[in-house]
Amino acid sequence: MASSSPEPLYVPGEEPARHFGPDDLVWTAEEQQTIDGWVAQYPTADGAVMKVLWLAQEKFAWLPAEVIEFVADTLDLPRAKVFGVATFYTQYYKQEMGKWVLDVCTCFSCQLCGGYDILHYLEDQLGIKKGETTQDGMFSIQEVECLGACGSAPMLQVTNGPYVHNLTPAKCDTLLANLREGKLPGFESVTLPQDEAELDGNRRSDAEVIEQYVTPPVSATIE
Amino acid sequence: MEVPKINDGTSKAGDWRNYKRVLLPPVRDLHKLEVYEQNGGYSALRAVLNENKFDPKGLGEHVKQSGLRGRGGAAFNTGLKWSFMPPVDPDVPRFLCCNGDESEPGTFKDRQLFEYNPHLVIEGMVLANYAISAKACYIYIRGEYASWIDHFQKAVDEAYAKGYIGENILGSGFSTDIVVHKGAGAYICGEETSLMESLEGKRGYPRVKPPFPAQKGIWARPTTINNVETLACVPLIVNKGADWFAATGAEKHPGPVLYGISGHVNKPGVYEFPTGMLITDLIDEVCGGMRGGKKLKALVPGGSSTPVLTAEQCIGTTMDADSLREAGSMLGTAGMLVMDEDTNMVSFLRRITHFYHHESCGQCTPCREGTGWLEKLVTRIDEGEGNFRDLDLLLDLCDQIEGRTICALADAAAWPVRWTIRRFRPEFEAKCKPSTFAGADLGDGASTEPAPVS
Repeated sequence: MASSSPEPLYVPGEEPARHFGPDDLVWTAEEQQTIDGWVAQYPTADGAVMKVLWLAQEKFAWLPAEVIEFVADTLDLPRAKVFGVATFYTQYYKQEMGKWVLDVCTCFSCQLCGGYDILHYLEDQLGIKKGETTQDGMFSIQEVECLGACGSAPMLQVTNGPYVHNLTPAKCDTLLANLREGKLPGFESVTLPQDEAELDGNRRSDAEVIEQYVTPPVSATIE
Repeated sequence: MEVPKINDGTSKAGDWRNYKRVLLPPVRDLHKLEVYEQNGGYSALRAVLNENKFDPKGLGEHVKQSGLRGRGGAAFNTGLKWSFMPPVDPDVPRFLCCNGDESEPGTFKDRQLFEYNPHLVIEGMVLANYAISAKACYIYIRGEYASWIDHFQKAVDEAYAKGYIGENILGSGFSTDIVVHKGAGAYICGEETSLMESLEGKRGYPRVKPPFPAQKGIWARPTTINNVETLACVPLIVNKGADWFAATGAEKHPGPVLYGISGHVNKPGVYEFPTGMLITDLIDEVCGGMRGGKKLKALVPGGSSTPVLTAEQCIGTTMDADSLREAGSMLGTAGMLVMDEDTNMVSFLRRITHFYHHESCGQCTPCREGTGWLEKLVTRIDEGEGNFRDLDLLLDLCDQIEGRTICALADAAAWPVRWTIRRFRPEFEAKCKPSTFAGADLGDGASTEPAPVS
């Protein structure tokens, strides 16, 4: 967000706070093997940097300075370069986030179909504003740009993972209750409208949850 | 003599009510390799590699004849793009990039291909690699699509196991690889050169062109870049022929296309039809009409950067490049946003300007600063603090931004502002405070920094 820039990772002249010690900053043999496989996919090791940053974020939950340095050292790249990559892309967390990050889409399709209603509803339920994390460290809310699910707006994404489509306040309640119990939503397969006539519904027999396209709700707030 | 109008109100999609889908045919579990094979999957690849249906050049020529135009937004002839690759030099590896970044607001079509028909995309990639003699295809999928990246990676692994990708494909001696690359949340990486920077593991700053990707693409090697849906059309062209493709839909912009329709319609979603569908047919018949029986007010035909059309402009207009150009917009990605009569166009534009401000990569000053000013000014108008002269200031700002940057993001940010104001000016004026004469400092705050955006 332009209006709420994250705290700087480095303050000039100050030693950055360390969150992980040298004992934490090691790859398992399996992870190292995966990384080697990625490096082989590209003409130079640079190409694998985004994948390794993803792996590091899965392992450490976020990317403080020492993790970024660790990734750079793994691939034998200049630390400044990896730092530059990590700070360019919004999905890499440069600050500690809640256990579950709710990325609520409010870009124009969602905006017109009640994305802000959902955002404000979640803010009220959790007692935080967008860009903040609950005191217990369970939830963060972010307002994000288009997630490419405009046909099933309003929608959100949970911690860079599953999408939750066709949101209503009731669906948000269920989602929050499930997440509190540690249950991540399953893969929601959204039926193609043309399939309803020709295939009698969704075409994937292995989908965990089937969502149909529904008439979008009337939005109460659009900002 | 009067020039005949393109938009004479007739559909160019032919008998679309009985159209048989080909990109997403009605087959259950088509994403599974064995189901795809049972339904004629990889037969185009066999025909080309085993039965010598085409040599690489011939395949490119065939695709050129089919009239396939890129589905990512620019609608450039795909076969022609392939022909820009320099002559094959065995010492210089060549690459194909597949652009699955799909971050243009309003666009959600490629995701359906990853979910429901990934092997069609893979077959198209291998065929394209063959046509341009590429060593590997890197497919860049936006990081938000984590679930679909998993689906697609699984399909790639299956295809590797069956020998459709890798060394000596189907015993033909042709070898090529497919690498799935996961983005991490940056709209700008949908821009072709920015995508290449990102693939190389850098910040996604667009490159200055020339050199064009066909000369110096990823790792400074000759590279062709195509959209996911574009490549998915290639096996269909091989199987059914260029003539079939050219005869489907609008004459100058043929083929099947995935329309992603969102907003105030009863049945939003992705629909496959030929190009050249009447916008009114899409809304009234295909999508079951407007939500709540409301009237259409405005429509964005192809993603956030394409100029918004008024309801009058939509009448008689079809979804193909030429028709939309005449109507005053572009096809873009065919991701349509439908807005009903209750839509507040100022708030709508405010959200778009916020998007471009957030997503500007910051490399070029006119865009980095300009998108911020666009947002500040539109926000001020939306909050009722704007002045009449702000509207002309916004249009002037658009002039200062457009065409003055490395990539087209700045143009994409300026177009919606320019055309929404031009086409819905009374609505903007209704929100502005009157000012008695332009240019004077009336103590109305216009000469000072506007309040920060909340």
